[in-house]
Amino acid sequence: MQILVCLKQVPDKDSRYKIDSAGTGIDEEDLVFETNESDQYALEEGLRLREKFGGEVVLLSLGGERVLKSIKNGLAMGADRALHLTGSEFQGSDASVVASAIRRAMATEAFDLVLTGVQSDDLGFGQTGTILAELLGWVHATIVVEIDIQPETRTVRVKRELESNLFEQVEIPLPAVLAIQSGINQPRYATLKGIMQAKKKEIKTLTPAILGMQPGDLGSTGSRVDHRRLFFPEKRKQTVMIEGEPEEAAKRLVEKLRKEARVL
Amino acid sequence: MSEEILVLIEHRGGKARAISWEAIGFGQKLAGLLNREMAVVLLGHEVDALAAEMTQRCGQAVLVASSPQLESYTPEAYCAVLSQLVCQRSPWLLLLGHTYQAIDFAPRLAAMLGRGLIPNCVDFRWDGTQLTFVRQVFNGKLNLEVGFKGSPPHLVSLQQGAFSAYDVQSASNPKLVHVDAALTPEVLKRKVLGILKTAQGQVDLTQADIIVAGGRGLANKEKFQIILDLAQVLGAGVGASRPVTDGGWLPKEHQIGSSGQTVAPKLYIACGISGAIQHLVGMSNSGCIVAINKDPNAPIFSIADYGIVGDVFKVVPVLIEAAKEIRK
Repeated sequence: MQILVCLKQVPDKDSRYKIDSAGTGIDEEDLVFETNESDQYALEEGLRLREKFGGEVVLLSLGGERVLKSIKNGLAMGADRALHLTGSEFQGSDASVVASAIRRAMATEAFDLVLTGVQSDDLGFGQTGTILAELLGWVHATIVVEIDIQPETRTVRVKRELESNLFEQVEIPLPAVLAIQSGINQPRYATLKGIMQAKKKEIKTLTPAILGMQPGDLGSTGSRVDHRRLFFPEKRKQTVMIEGEPEEAAKRLVEKLRKEARVL
Repeated sequence: MSEEILVLIEHRGGKARAISWEAIGFGQKLAGLLNREMAVVLLGHEVDALAAEMTQRCGQAVLVASSPQLESYTPEAYCAVLSQLVCQRSPWLLLLGHTYQAIDFAPRLAAMLGRGLIPNCVDFRWDGTQLTFVRQVFNGKLNLEVGFKGSPPHLVSLQQGAFSAYDVQSASNPKLVHVDAALTPEVLKRKVLGILKTAQGQVDLTQADIIVAGGRGLANKEKFQIILDLAQVLGAGVGASRPVTDGGWLPKEHQIGSSGQTVAPKLYIACGISGAIQHLVGMSNSGCIVAINKDPNAPIFSIADYGIVGDVFKVVPVLIEAAKEIRK
Protein backbone atom coordinates (compact mmCIF):
# COMPACT_ATOMS: atom_id res chain seq x y z
CA MET A 1 0.00 0.00 0.00
CA GLN A 2 1.54 3.32 -1.13
CA ILE A 3 0.10 6.12 0.97
CA LEU A 4 0.55 9.85 0.52
CA VAL A 5 -0.19 11.96 3.59
CA CYS A 6 -0.56 15.72 3.07
CA LEU A 7 0.46 17.93 5.97
CA LYS A 8 -0.14 21.64 6.35
CA GLN A 9 1.70 23.72 8.86
CA VAL A 10 -0.47 26.27 10.67
CA PRO A 11 0.02 28.75 13.53
CA ASP A 12 -0.40 27.40 17.06
CA LYS A 13 -4.05 27.71 18.17
CA ASP A 14 -3.29 30.13 21.00
CA SER A 15 -1.49 32.55 18.67
CA ARG A 16 -2.05 36.28 18.83
CA TYR A 17 -2.20 37.59 15.31
CA LYS A 18 -0.99 40.73 13.63
CA ILE A 19 -2.23 41.62 10.17
CA ASP A 20 0.49 42.13 7.56
CA SER A 21 1.18 45.39 5.74
CA ALA A 22 -0.75 44.24 2.66
CA GLY A 23 -3.82 43.74 4.87
CA THR A 24 -4.60 40.33 3.39
CA GLY A 25 -2.49 37.97 5.48
CA ILE A 26 -0.92 37.56 8.89
CA ASP A 27 2.49 38.70 10.04
CA GLU A 28 4.33 35.40 10.54
CA GLU A 29 7.06 36.85 12.72
CA ASP A 30 6.80 35.76 16.38
CA LEU A 31 4.30 32.99 15.53
CA VAL A 32 4.86 29.37 16.50
CA PHE A 33 3.83 26.86 13.84
CA GLU A 34 2.65 23.29 14.24
CA THR A 35 1.23 20.54 12.04
CA ASN A 36 -2.49 21.07 11.40
CA GLU A 37 -4.51 19.05 13.89
CA SER A 38 -6.56 16.81 11.59
CA ASP A 39 -3.47 16.22 9.40
CA GLN A 40 -1.75 14.68 12.44
CA TYR A 41 -4.59 12.18 12.66
CA ALA A 42 -4.28 11.51 8.91
CA LEU A 43 -0.59 10.73 9.37
CA GLU A 44 -1.24 8.36 12.27
CA GLU A 45 -3.90 6.59 10.19
CA GLY A 46 -1.42 6.25 7.32
CA LEU A 47 1.21 4.75 9.63
CA ARG A 48 -1.29 2.22 11.01
CA LEU A 49 -2.36 1.17 7.51
CA ARG A 50 1.27 0.66 6.51
CA GLU A 51 1.88 -1.43 9.62
CA LYS A 52 -1.04 -3.63 8.57
CA PHE A 53 -0.54 -3.84 4.81
CA GLY A 54 3.12 -2.90 4.21
CA GLY A 55 4.28 -0.37 1.65
CA GLU A 56 5.28 3.21 2.26
CA VAL A 57 3.97 6.37 3.88
CA VAL A 58 5.17 9.42 1.96
CA LEU A 59 4.65 12.89 3.41
CA LEU A 60 3.90 15.97 1.37
CA SER A 61 3.95 19.53 2.59
CA LEU A 62 3.92 22.83 0.75
CA GLY A 63 5.59 25.92 2.12
CA GLY A 64 8.87 27.60 2.96
CA GLU A 65 11.73 26.47 5.14
CA ARG A 66 9.56 26.35 8.27
CA VAL A 67 7.43 23.40 7.07
CA LEU A 68 10.53 21.18 7.29
CA LYS A 69 9.82 21.03 11.02
CA SER A 70 6.44 19.36 10.36
CA ILE A 71 8.01 17.09 7.75
CA LYS A 72 10.85 16.03 10.06
CA ASN A 73 8.44 15.38 12.89
CA GLY A 74 6.34 13.20 10.57
CA LEU A 75 9.43 11.28 9.47
CA ALA A 76 10.37 10.81 13.13
CA MET A 77 6.88 9.44 13.81
CA GLY A 78 7.61 6.80 11.19
CA ALA A 79 6.87 8.07 7.68
CA ASP A 80 9.33 6.71 5.08
CA ARG A 81 10.20 9.78 3.02
CA ALA A 82 8.85 13.19 2.08
CA LEU A 83 8.08 15.57 -0.76
CA HIS A 84 8.62 19.24 0.04
CA LEU A 85 6.87 21.57 -2.41
CA THR A 86 8.48 24.94 -2.09
CA GLY A 87 9.01 28.23 -3.87
CA SER A 88 8.03 31.83 -3.26
CA GLU A 89 5.76 31.63 -6.34
CA PHE A 90 3.38 29.47 -4.28
CA GLN A 91 2.63 32.41 -1.93
CA GLY A 92 -1.06 33.27 -2.01
CA SER A 93 -2.16 30.11 -3.83
CA ASP A 94 -5.70 28.89 -3.24
CA ALA A 95 -6.78 25.26 -2.83
CA SER A 96 -7.10 24.71 -6.60
CA VAL A 97 -3.46 25.71 -7.17
CA VAL A 98 -2.24 23.60 -4.25
CA ALA A 99 -4.25 20.60 -5.47
CA SER A 100 -2.80 20.83 -8.96
CA ALA A 101 0.73 21.11 -7.54
CA ILE A 102 0.11 17.96 -5.48
CA ARG A 103 -1.22 16.14 -8.53
CA ARG A 104 1.96 17.03 -10.44
CA ALA A 105 4.11 15.89 -7.51
CA MET A 106 2.28 12.54 -7.63
CA ALA A 107 2.94 12.03 -11.35
CA THR A 108 6.09 9.93 -10.90
CA GLU A 109 4.64 7.92 -8.02
CA ALA A 110 2.04 5.16 -7.77
CA PHE A 111 -0.13 5.84 -4.74
CA ASP A 112 -3.16 3.80 -3.65
CA LEU A 113 -4.37 6.25 -1.10
CA VAL A 114 -4.06 9.97 -0.34
CA LEU A 115 -4.86 11.05 3.21
CA THR A 116 -5.46 14.66 4.22
CA GLY A 117 -7.01 16.32 7.24
CA VAL A 118 -10.61 17.52 6.98
CA GLN A 119 -9.63 21.18 6.97
CA SER A 120 -6.82 23.48 8.01
CA ASP A 121 -7.07 25.36 11.28
CA ASP A 122 -5.85 28.56 9.64
CA LEU A 123 -7.88 29.39 6.53
CA GLY A 124 -10.16 26.36 6.69
CA PHE A 125 -11.35 26.28 3.08
CA GLY A 126 -11.44 22.48 3.40
CA GLN A 127 -11.12 21.75 -0.30
CA THR A 128 -7.62 20.68 -1.31
CA GLY A 129 -8.11 16.91 -1.03
CA THR A 130 -11.49 16.91 -2.74
CA ILE A 131 -10.25 19.03 -5.65
CA LEU A 132 -7.22 16.73 -5.91
CA ALA A 133 -9.55 13.71 -6.17
CA GLU A 134 -11.36 15.37 -9.07
CA LEU A 135 -8.06 16.21 -10.82
CA LEU A 136 -6.92 12.59 -10.40
CA GLY A 137 -10.30 11.14 -11.35
CA TRP A 138 -10.33 9.24 -8.04
CA VAL A 139 -13.19 8.72 -5.63
CA HIS A 140 -13.08 10.73 -2.41
CA ALA A 141 -14.60 10.51 1.04
CA THR A 142 -14.60 13.34 3.57
CA ILE A 143 -14.95 13.61 7.35
CA VAL A 144 -13.72 10.03 7.72
CA VAL A 145 -13.70 8.55 11.23
CA GLU A 146 -12.99 4.88 10.43
CA ILE A 147 -11.12 3.10 7.61
CA ASP A 148 -11.39 -0.58 6.76
CA ILE A 149 -9.38 -1.61 3.68
CA GLN A 150 -10.36 -4.78 1.81
CA PRO A 151 -7.16 -5.58 -0.14
CA GLU A 152 -8.64 -8.50 -2.10
CA THR A 153 -11.35 -6.36 -3.70
CA ARG A 154 -9.27 -3.15 -3.69
CA THR A 155 -12.04 -1.33 -1.90
CA VAL A 156 -12.21 0.63 1.31
CA ARG A 157 -15.10 0.86 3.70
CA VAL A 158 -15.20 4.15 5.51
CA LYS A 159 -17.35 5.54 8.26
CA ARG A 160 -18.11 9.22 7.69
CA GLU A 161 -19.26 11.65 10.32
CA LEU A 162 -22.52 13.44 9.56
CA GLU A 163 -24.29 16.09 11.61
CA SER A 164 -26.15 15.44 14.87
CA ASN A 165 -24.32 12.29 15.95
CA LEU A 166 -25.10 10.42 12.72
CA PHE A 167 -22.62 8.43 10.67
CA GLU A 168 -22.63 7.09 7.13
CA GLN A 169 -20.99 3.84 6.09
CA VAL A 170 -19.87 3.71 2.51
CA GLU A 171 -17.71 1.51 0.31
CA ILE A 172 -15.49 3.07 -2.34
CA PRO A 173 -12.89 1.68 -4.74
CA LEU A 174 -9.16 2.36 -4.51
CA PRO A 175 -7.30 4.50 -5.36
CA ALA A 176 -9.02 7.13 -3.26
CA VAL A 177 -8.55 10.41 -1.43
CA LEU A 178 -9.75 10.42 2.17
CA ALA A 179 -10.14 13.51 4.35
CA ILE A 180 -9.60 12.41 7.93
CA GLN A 181 -11.52 13.86 10.87
CA SER A 182 -9.71 14.49 14.15
CA GLY A 183 -10.38 11.87 16.82
CA ILE A 184 -10.13 8.87 14.46
CA ASN A 185 -7.13 7.58 16.46
CA GLN A 186 -4.63 8.71 19.08
CA PRO A 187 -1.54 9.95 17.21
CA ARG A 188 1.78 8.59 18.47
CA TYR A 189 4.70 10.70 19.59
CA ALA A 190 8.05 10.61 17.86
CA THR A 191 10.56 8.48 19.79
CA LEU A 192 14.23 9.29 20.21
CA LYS A 193 15.01 6.36 17.92
CA GLY A 194 12.54 7.71 15.38
CA ILE A 195 14.16 11.15 15.52
CA MET A 196 17.58 9.60 14.88
CA GLN A 197 16.30 7.47 11.99
CA ALA A 198 14.50 10.45 10.45
CA LYS A 199 17.82 12.16 9.80
CA LYS A 200 18.61 9.56 7.13
CA LYS A 201 15.26 9.73 5.37
CA GLU A 202 14.85 11.38 2.00
CA ILE A 203 13.20 14.80 1.66
CA LYS A 204 12.77 15.60 -2.02
CA THR A 205 12.47 19.30 -2.86
CA LEU A 206 10.02 20.11 -5.62
CA THR A 207 9.88 23.65 -6.98
CA PRO A 208 7.24 24.98 -9.39
CA ALA A 209 9.85 24.68 -12.17
CA ILE A 210 10.47 20.99 -11.41
CA LEU A 211 6.71 20.44 -11.30
CA GLY A 212 6.34 22.14 -14.69
CA MET A 213 4.13 24.92 -13.37
CA GLN A 214 4.13 28.35 -15.01
CA PRO A 215 3.99 31.65 -13.08
CA GLY A 216 0.45 32.19 -14.37
CA ASP A 217 -0.70 28.92 -12.72
CA LEU A 218 0.59 29.96 -9.32
CA GLY A 219 -0.06 32.23 -6.38
CA SER A 220 -2.98 34.58 -6.48
CA THR A 221 -2.68 34.85 -10.29
CA GLY A 222 -3.49 31.16 -10.68
CA SER A 223 -6.17 31.17 -7.99
CA ARG A 224 -9.93 31.22 -8.41
CA VAL A 225 -10.65 33.15 -5.26
CA ASP A 226 -9.07 36.36 -4.12
CA HIS A 227 -8.20 37.29 -0.54
CA ARG A 228 -9.11 40.97 -0.35
CA ARG A 229 -9.00 42.00 3.31
CA LEU A 230 -8.16 40.41 6.65
CA PHE A 231 -9.59 42.08 9.74
CA PHE A 232 -10.46 41.53 13.38
CA PRO A 233 -14.14 40.69 13.81
CA GLU A 234 -16.41 43.02 15.71
CA LYS A 235 -17.71 41.60 18.93
CA ARG A 236 -21.21 40.24 18.59
CA LYS A 237 -22.10 40.83 22.21
CA GLN A 238 -21.21 43.30 24.91
CA THR A 239 -19.27 41.03 27.22
CA VAL A 240 -18.95 41.95 30.87
CA MET A 241 -15.34 41.07 31.61
CA ILE A 242 -14.79 40.26 35.25
CA GLU A 243 -11.33 41.32 36.35
CA GLY A 244 -9.32 40.49 39.41
CA GLU A 245 -7.64 37.50 41.00
CA PRO A 246 -9.28 34.12 40.27
CA GLU A 247 -10.79 33.85 43.74
CA GLU A 248 -12.37 37.28 43.63
CA ALA A 249 -13.43 37.06 39.96
CA ALA A 250 -15.16 33.71 40.50
CA LYS A 251 -17.10 35.08 43.47
CA ARG A 252 -18.17 38.20 41.56
CA LEU A 253 -19.25 36.03 38.65
CA VAL A 254 -21.54 33.96 40.87
CA GLU A 255 -22.94 37.18 42.32
CA LYS A 256 -23.68 38.54 38.85
CA LEU A 257 -25.22 35.28 37.66
CA ARG A 258 -27.56 35.38 40.66
CA LYS A 259 -28.49 39.03 40.87
CA GLU A 260 -27.96 40.45 37.39
CA ALA A 261 -28.63 37.57 35.00
CA ARG A 262 -30.80 35.67 37.50
CA VAL A 263 -29.77 32.29 36.14
CA LEU A 264 -28.52 30.71 39.35
CA MET B 1 -32.19 35.53 -19.32
CA SER B 2 -30.10 37.38 -16.86
CA GLU B 3 -27.47 35.24 -15.25
CA GLU B 4 -29.42 33.91 -12.35
CA ILE B 5 -28.75 32.92 -8.76
CA LEU B 6 -29.40 29.25 -8.01
CA VAL B 7 -30.01 28.08 -4.44
CA LEU B 8 -29.55 24.38 -3.71
CA ILE B 9 -31.89 22.83 -1.19
CA GLU B 10 -30.78 20.19 1.26
CA HIS B 11 -33.58 18.03 2.59
CA ARG B 12 -34.11 15.23 5.06
CA GLY B 13 -37.22 13.16 5.54
CA GLY B 14 -39.27 15.23 3.10
CA LYS B 15 -38.41 18.56 4.73
CA ALA B 16 -35.99 21.26 3.67
CA ARG B 17 -33.35 21.93 6.30
CA ALA B 18 -33.38 25.29 8.10
CA ILE B 19 -30.14 26.35 6.40
CA SER B 20 -31.86 25.98 3.00
CA TRP B 21 -34.50 28.56 3.99
CA GLU B 22 -31.71 30.84 5.18
CA ALA B 23 -30.02 30.42 1.79
CA ILE B 24 -33.28 31.19 -0.04
CA GLY B 25 -33.83 34.32 2.07
CA PHE B 26 -30.29 35.50 1.39
CA GLY B 27 -30.56 34.54 -2.30
CA GLN B 28 -33.69 36.70 -2.60
CA LYS B 29 -31.94 39.58 -0.85
CA LEU B 30 -28.97 39.31 -3.22
CA ALA B 31 -31.18 38.88 -6.30
CA GLY B 32 -32.93 42.13 -5.33
CA LEU B 33 -29.70 44.04 -4.75
CA LEU B 34 -28.07 42.83 -7.93
CA ASN B 35 -31.23 42.80 -10.01
CA ARG B 36 -30.96 39.15 -10.96
CA GLU B 37 -33.36 36.26 -11.27
CA MET B 38 -33.34 33.51 -8.73
CA ALA B 39 -34.36 29.86 -8.76
CA VAL B 40 -34.32 27.04 -6.26
CA VAL B 41 -32.80 23.63 -7.08
CA LEU B 42 -34.01 20.40 -5.56
CA LEU B 43 -32.35 17.02 -6.11
CA GLY B 44 -33.91 13.75 -5.03
CA HIS B 45 -36.33 11.00 -5.86
CA GLU B 46 -40.11 11.58 -5.76
CA VAL B 47 -39.71 15.00 -4.20
CA ASP B 48 -42.58 16.75 -6.00
CA ALA B 49 -44.50 17.28 -2.76
CA LEU B 50 -41.57 19.11 -1.21
CA ALA B 51 -41.00 21.03 -4.47
CA ALA B 52 -44.65 22.14 -4.48
CA GLU B 53 -44.42 23.25 -0.87
CA MET B 54 -41.28 25.24 -1.58
CA THR B 55 -42.82 26.87 -4.64
CA GLN B 56 -45.77 27.93 -2.50
CA ARG B 57 -43.72 29.27 0.33
CA CYS B 58 -41.04 31.23 -1.50
CA GLY B 59 -42.80 31.87 -4.81
CA GLN B 60 -39.68 31.12 -6.82
CA ALA B 61 -39.14 28.75 -9.69
CA VAL B 62 -38.15 25.37 -8.27
CA LEU B 63 -36.01 23.23 -10.56
CA VAL B 64 -36.45 19.57 -9.73
CA ALA B 65 -33.96 16.90 -10.76
CA SER B 66 -35.52 13.57 -9.95
CA SER B 67 -33.96 10.14 -10.24
CA PRO B 68 -33.86 6.94 -8.15
CA GLN B 69 -30.08 7.43 -8.11
CA LEU B 70 -30.60 10.68 -6.22
CA GLU B 71 -32.66 9.07 -3.48
CA SER B 72 -29.70 8.84 -1.14
CA TYR B 73 -26.94 11.40 -1.40
CA THR B 74 -23.70 10.57 -3.17
CA PRO B 75 -21.15 13.18 -4.25
CA GLU B 76 -20.84 11.54 -7.67
CA ALA B 77 -24.54 11.79 -8.54
CA TYR B 78 -24.88 15.31 -7.07
CA CYS B 79 -21.81 16.55 -8.98
CA ALA B 80 -22.95 14.93 -12.24
CA VAL B 81 -26.48 16.38 -12.11
CA LEU B 82 -25.46 19.81 -10.84
CA SER B 83 -22.64 20.22 -13.34
CA GLN B 84 -25.08 19.39 -16.16
CA LEU B 85 -27.57 21.88 -14.80
CA VAL B 86 -24.95 24.59 -14.45
CA CYS B 87 -23.72 23.98 -18.00
CA GLN B 88 -27.29 24.28 -19.33
CA ARG B 89 -28.33 27.38 -17.40
CA SER B 90 -24.99 29.20 -16.92
CA PRO B 91 -26.01 30.73 -13.60
CA TRP B 92 -24.03 33.57 -12.09
CA LEU B 93 -23.98 32.17 -8.56
CA LEU B 94 -24.72 28.83 -6.92
CA LEU B 95 -25.60 29.24 -3.23
CA LEU B 96 -25.45 26.35 -0.79
CA GLY B 97 -25.67 25.83 2.94
CA HIS B 98 -22.32 24.96 4.50
CA THR B 99 -23.46 21.54 5.67
CA TYR B 100 -21.53 18.30 5.92
CA GLN B 101 -23.07 17.40 2.56
CA ALA B 102 -21.82 20.58 0.89
CA ILE B 103 -18.39 20.11 2.49
CA ASP B 104 -18.35 16.70 0.80
CA PHE B 105 -19.33 17.55 -2.78
CA ALA B 106 -19.13 21.32 -3.40
CA PRO B 107 -15.32 21.53 -3.79
CA ARG B 108 -15.46 18.68 -6.30
CA LEU B 109 -18.29 20.33 -8.24
CA ALA B 110 -16.35 23.61 -8.32
CA ALA B 111 -13.27 21.76 -9.61
CA MET B 112 -15.35 20.01 -12.30
CA LEU B 113 -16.58 23.41 -13.43
CA GLY B 114 -13.11 24.96 -13.13
CA ARG B 115 -14.47 27.56 -10.74
CA GLY B 116 -13.88 28.76 -7.20
CA LEU B 117 -15.89 28.01 -4.08
CA ILE B 118 -15.98 30.35 -1.08
CA PRO B 119 -17.13 28.18 1.81
CA ASN B 120 -18.73 28.86 5.19
CA CYS B 121 -19.50 32.56 4.67
CA VAL B 122 -20.95 34.61 7.52
CA ASP B 123 -21.54 37.94 5.78
CA PHE B 124 -21.21 39.75 2.46
CA ARG B 125 -20.30 43.17 1.07
CA TRP B 126 -21.75 44.76 -2.03
CA ASP B 127 -20.42 48.14 -3.04
CA GLY B 128 -22.45 48.47 -6.21
CA THR B 129 -19.85 46.84 -8.43
CA GLN B 130 -18.03 44.18 -6.43
CA LEU B 131 -19.42 41.38 -4.32
CA THR B 132 -17.26 39.89 -1.60
CA PHE B 133 -17.96 37.38 1.12
CA VAL B 134 -16.75 37.32 4.71
CA ARG B 135 -15.41 34.13 6.29
CA GLN B 136 -14.05 33.35 9.73
CA VAL B 137 -10.42 32.24 9.66
CA PHE B 138 -7.71 31.31 12.19
CA ASN B 139 -10.24 29.61 14.45
CA GLY B 140 -12.57 32.57 14.45
CA LYS B 141 -9.94 35.06 15.61
CA LEU B 142 -9.91 36.89 12.28
CA ASN B 143 -12.28 37.52 9.39
CA LEU B 144 -11.30 37.38 5.74
CA GLU B 145 -13.06 39.09 2.87
CA VAL B 146 -12.89 36.91 -0.23
CA GLY B 147 -13.91 37.65 -3.79
CA PHE B 148 -13.97 35.63 -6.98
CA LYS B 149 -11.58 35.80 -9.89
CA GLY B 150 -12.49 34.88 -13.41
CA SER B 151 -15.88 34.34 -14.96
CA PRO B 152 -19.04 32.93 -13.35
CA PRO B 153 -20.58 30.68 -12.19
CA HIS B 154 -19.29 31.25 -8.67
CA LEU B 155 -19.98 28.92 -5.77
CA VAL B 156 -20.66 30.08 -2.23
CA SER B 157 -21.70 28.19 0.89
CA LEU B 158 -23.28 29.93 3.88
CA GLN B 159 -22.62 29.20 7.53
CA GLN B 160 -25.65 27.82 9.32
CA GLY B 161 -27.46 30.51 11.28
CA ALA B 162 -25.41 33.38 9.85
CA PHE B 163 -27.98 34.56 7.30
CA SER B 164 -31.16 33.89 9.24
CA ALA B 165 -31.87 37.63 9.24
CA TYR B 166 -33.09 37.55 5.65
CA ASP B 167 -36.63 36.26 5.84
CA VAL B 168 -38.00 34.37 2.89
CA GLN B 169 -40.24 36.67 0.83
CA SER B 170 -43.09 35.44 -1.32
CA ALA B 171 -41.94 36.16 -4.87
CA SER B 172 -44.21 36.18 -7.89
CA ASN B 173 -42.73 33.43 -10.00
CA PRO B 174 -44.00 30.19 -8.51
CA LYS B 175 -43.45 27.34 -10.90
CA LEU B 176 -42.14 23.84 -10.84
CA VAL B 177 -39.73 22.85 -13.60
CA HIS B 178 -38.42 19.35 -14.10
CA VAL B 179 -34.83 19.33 -15.25
CA ASP B 180 -32.69 16.58 -16.69
CA ALA B 181 -31.26 14.15 -14.17
CA ALA B 182 -29.81 11.62 -16.59
CA LEU B 183 -27.22 9.50 -14.82
CA THR B 184 -25.33 6.57 -16.23
CA PRO B 185 -24.85 3.69 -13.78
CA GLU B 186 -21.06 4.13 -14.00
CA VAL B 187 -21.38 7.51 -12.34
CA LEU B 188 -22.09 5.90 -8.98
CA LYS B 189 -18.73 4.68 -7.82
CA ARG B 190 -19.72 4.05 -4.22
CA LYS B 191 -22.05 1.85 -2.26
CA VAL B 192 -23.83 3.57 0.60
CA LEU B 193 -24.07 0.80 3.21
CA GLY B 194 -26.16 2.69 5.73
CA ILE B 195 -26.64 5.56 8.15
CA LEU B 196 -26.18 4.89 11.83
CA LYS B 197 -26.49 6.76 15.09
CA THR B 198 -23.88 6.85 17.85
CA ALA B 199 -24.17 3.47 19.49
CA GLN B 200 -23.72 4.52 23.10
CA GLY B 201 -26.61 5.50 25.37
CA GLN B 202 -27.87 8.97 24.60
CA VAL B 203 -27.00 11.97 26.71
CA ASP B 204 -29.70 14.53 26.05
CA LEU B 205 -28.37 17.99 26.79
CA THR B 206 -31.14 19.79 24.91
CA GLN B 207 -33.40 19.84 27.96
CA ALA B 208 -30.78 21.01 30.47
CA ASP B 209 -31.28 24.43 32.11
CA ILE B 210 -27.61 24.74 32.88
CA ILE B 211 -24.68 23.24 30.97
CA VAL B 212 -21.09 23.26 32.16
CA ALA B 213 -18.80 22.53 29.23
CA GLY B 214 -15.07 21.96 29.07
CA GLY B 215 -12.57 22.13 26.22
CA ARG B 216 -8.95 21.67 25.26
CA GLY B 217 -7.85 23.96 28.11
CA LEU B 218 -8.69 21.23 30.62
CA ALA B 219 -5.50 19.47 29.44
CA ASN B 220 -6.39 15.83 30.20
CA LYS B 221 -8.99 13.36 31.40
CA GLU B 222 -7.97 13.55 35.08
CA LYS B 223 -8.04 17.33 35.17
CA PHE B 224 -11.42 17.37 33.37
CA GLN B 225 -12.90 16.10 36.66
CA ILE B 226 -13.39 19.68 37.91
CA ILE B 227 -15.94 20.23 35.12
CA LEU B 228 -17.91 17.20 36.31
CA ASP B 229 -17.65 18.50 39.88
CA LEU B 230 -18.96 21.96 38.98
CA ALA B 231 -21.78 20.43 36.94
CA GLN B 232 -22.76 18.23 39.84
CA VAL B 233 -22.95 21.10 42.32
CA LEU B 234 -25.06 23.14 39.89
CA GLY B 235 -27.24 20.21 38.85
CA ALA B 236 -26.07 20.91 35.31
CA GLY B 237 -25.50 18.82 32.20
CA VAL B 238 -21.92 18.19 31.10
CA GLY B 239 -20.90 19.34 27.64
CA ALA B 240 -17.64 19.21 25.74
CA SER B 241 -15.95 20.62 22.69
CA ARG B 242 -14.35 18.39 20.11
CA PRO B 243 -10.82 17.99 21.55
CA VAL B 244 -12.34 16.50 24.72
CA THR B 245 -14.21 13.72 22.94
CA ASP B 246 -11.38 13.22 20.41
CA GLY B 247 -9.02 12.66 23.32
CA GLY B 248 -11.41 10.21 24.96
CA TRP B 249 -11.82 12.34 28.12
CA LEU B 250 -15.59 12.06 27.71
CA PRO B 251 -17.82 9.94 25.44
CA LYS B 252 -18.72 11.52 22.10
CA GLU B 253 -22.36 11.97 23.09
CA HIS B 254 -21.33 14.91 25.30
CA GLN B 255 -20.02 16.83 22.31
CA ILE B 256 -21.72 20.13 21.54
CA GLY B 257 -21.45 21.64 18.08
CA SER B 258 -22.01 20.86 14.44
CA SER B 259 -21.25 17.15 14.74
CA GLY B 260 -22.82 16.80 18.17
CA GLN B 261 -25.75 18.35 19.96
CA THR B 262 -27.27 21.80 19.51
CA VAL B 263 -28.27 23.28 22.83
CA ALA B 264 -29.77 26.49 24.20
CA PRO B 265 -29.81 26.29 28.02
CA LYS B 266 -30.52 29.29 30.26
CA LEU B 267 -26.89 29.24 31.39
CA TYR B 268 -23.88 27.90 29.49
CA ILE B 269 -20.53 27.93 31.27
CA ALA B 270 -17.68 27.36 28.81
CA CYS B 271 -14.41 26.48 30.52
CA GLY B 272 -11.17 26.25 28.56
CA ILE B 273 -13.09 26.34 25.27
CA SER B 274 -11.56 28.61 22.64
CA GLY B 275 -14.77 28.78 20.63
CA ALA B 276 -14.11 27.22 17.24
CA ILE B 277 -16.96 27.90 14.82
CA GLN B 278 -18.00 24.23 14.92
CA HIS B 279 -18.59 24.55 18.66
CA LEU B 280 -20.28 27.97 18.60
CA VAL B 281 -22.98 26.84 16.16
CA GLY B 282 -24.08 24.31 18.77
CA MET B 283 -24.48 26.72 21.72
CA SER B 284 -24.56 30.36 20.62
CA ASN B 285 -28.32 30.61 21.24
CA SER B 286 -27.91 29.88 24.95
CA GLY B 287 -29.56 32.44 27.24
CA CYS B 288 -26.53 33.49 29.25
CA ILE B 289 -23.03 32.49 28.20
CA VAL B 290 -20.08 32.53 30.58
CA ALA B 291 -16.57 32.05 29.21
CA ILE B 292 -13.50 31.24 31.28
CA ASN B 293 -10.31 31.07 29.23
CA LYS B 294 -6.67 32.04 29.62
CA ASP B 295 -6.51 33.51 26.11
CA PRO B 296 -8.13 36.99 26.04
CA ASN B 297 -8.44 36.73 22.24
CA ALA B 298 -10.33 33.43 22.27
CA PRO B 299 -13.41 33.79 20.01
CA ILE B 300 -15.64 32.40 22.77
CA PHE B 301 -15.47 35.86 24.37
CA SER B 302 -17.11 37.41 21.31
CA ILE B 303 -20.39 35.68 22.15
CA ALA B 304 -20.08 35.59 25.95
CA ASP B 305 -22.23 37.65 28.32
CA TYR B 306 -19.71 37.29 31.13
CA GLY B 307 -16.04 36.53 30.74
CA ILE B 308 -13.11 35.77 32.99
CA VAL B 309 -9.63 35.77 31.49
CA GLY B 310 -7.81 33.34 33.71
CA ASP B 311 -6.69 29.85 34.53
CA VAL B 312 -9.64 27.42 34.64
CA PHE B 313 -7.85 25.39 37.29
CA LYS B 314 -7.86 28.40 39.61
CA VAL B 315 -11.28 29.82 38.74
CA VAL B 316 -13.41 26.67 38.60
CA PRO B 317 -12.56 25.35 42.11
CA VAL B 318 -13.67 28.71 43.56
CA LEU B 319 -16.87 28.52 41.49
CA ILE B 320 -17.52 25.05 42.92
CA GLU B 321 -17.18 26.36 46.47
CA ALA B 322 -19.32 29.44 45.75
CA ALA B 323 -21.99 27.28 44.12
CA LYS B 324 -22.01 24.97 47.16
CA GLU B 325 -22.71 28.02 49.34
CA ILE B 326 -25.78 29.11 47.35
CA ARG B 327 -27.11 25.55 47.13
CA LYS B 328 -27.16 25.28 50.92
